[in-house]
Amino acid sequence: MTDPQQNCQSKVASKLYPAIREAVILCLVTVIAATVFNMLRPSGIPLCGFSSAIILQEQQANIPVITLSAAYDLYLNKKVVFVDARDPFSYEEGHIAGAVNIYPDEAILQAAILKQMLSPGSLVITYCDGPQCPLSKETAQRLQLQGLSAVKVLVNGWSLWRDAGYPVAKGKK
Amino acid sequence: MKLKNFPVRIAVLTALICRLALGIVFFYAGIEKIIAPREFAIAIYNYRLLPDWAVNMLAVMLPWLEVFLATGLIAGIYVRGASLISALLFLTFAIALAINLVRGLDISCGCFGAQSGNINWFYLVRDSSLLAISVFTLMFDRGWRYFFLRK
Repeated sequence: MTDPQQNCQSKVASKLYPAIREAVILCLVTVIAATVFNMLRPSGIPLCGFSSAIILQEQQANIPVITLSAAYDLYLNKKVVFVDARDPFSYEEGHIAGAVNIYPDEAILQAAILKQMLSPGSLVITYCDGPQCPLSKETAQRLQLQGLSAVKVLVNGWSLWRDAGYPVAKGKK
Repeated sequence: MKLKNFPVRIAVLTALICRLALGIVFFYAGIEKIIAPREFAIAIYNYRLLPDWAVNMLAVMLPWLEVFLATGLIAGIYVRGASLISALLFLTFAIALAINLVRGLDISCGCFGAQSGNINWFYLVRDSSLLAISVFTLMFDRGWRYFFLRK
């Protein structure tokens, strides 16, 4: 190894080592100050107590719902894409005519295709079956995260739609 | 360190401006996040990069780190350490942003607290610029001493 190389390396090291030492001190001071301040402040949060389940519930609660009549009006005006959030087997047994099947886990993959299907001003309505069914809200929330802002949920959508005698389809499409 | 054919004084002066700019950015970002830790935790969670147990911890620690970095950078205390952490932070932010932009997630940036806009490619460019400024500061800053105690 030549002298200039060694010289250069020692120069870098002489700058870097003090920087690392200072960085460690700054981090230690931060940990102490942040922990103490968080413990003392009334609006402090538990250091290890984050629950994604609660956050998901809150986010899903913020997704707007739509009534059956409003959804049907949009359907007649061709201003809606229905998303069936149930499993593929239930979808094949029967679904809203023209609906696409997107189970919550597939939302990330299918969002781009869904975006292409949407005309300007149209809405995405997700549905599943039963008033307590969480799938429609889960799919709606994941679609929102993918940049689809105009998403609403038709609660208990499949039963309501079928019982009202509105158009349905069977099979894979 | 010397830049070839570049006056040292100008490089040091530029580094000073970069350092103060970084300090102001960090101070503003840190305070905004300290005010609303819960909202910042949700912003971190939405990036989908950390396990649940680490989310609140980062939401509590990161704003204070930014405030201490700002203090150090503006006051000229531990500048090398502060600019090193600053560079690493911006590198991490840039990677996190890039991953979620590629994923196509439409989430809040959380860069300046919960009320920041949604992530986009401009934020990645901004982060990369701040990373470059941090590295420049690390390399060329000589502290206040250079200007006030120099013979």
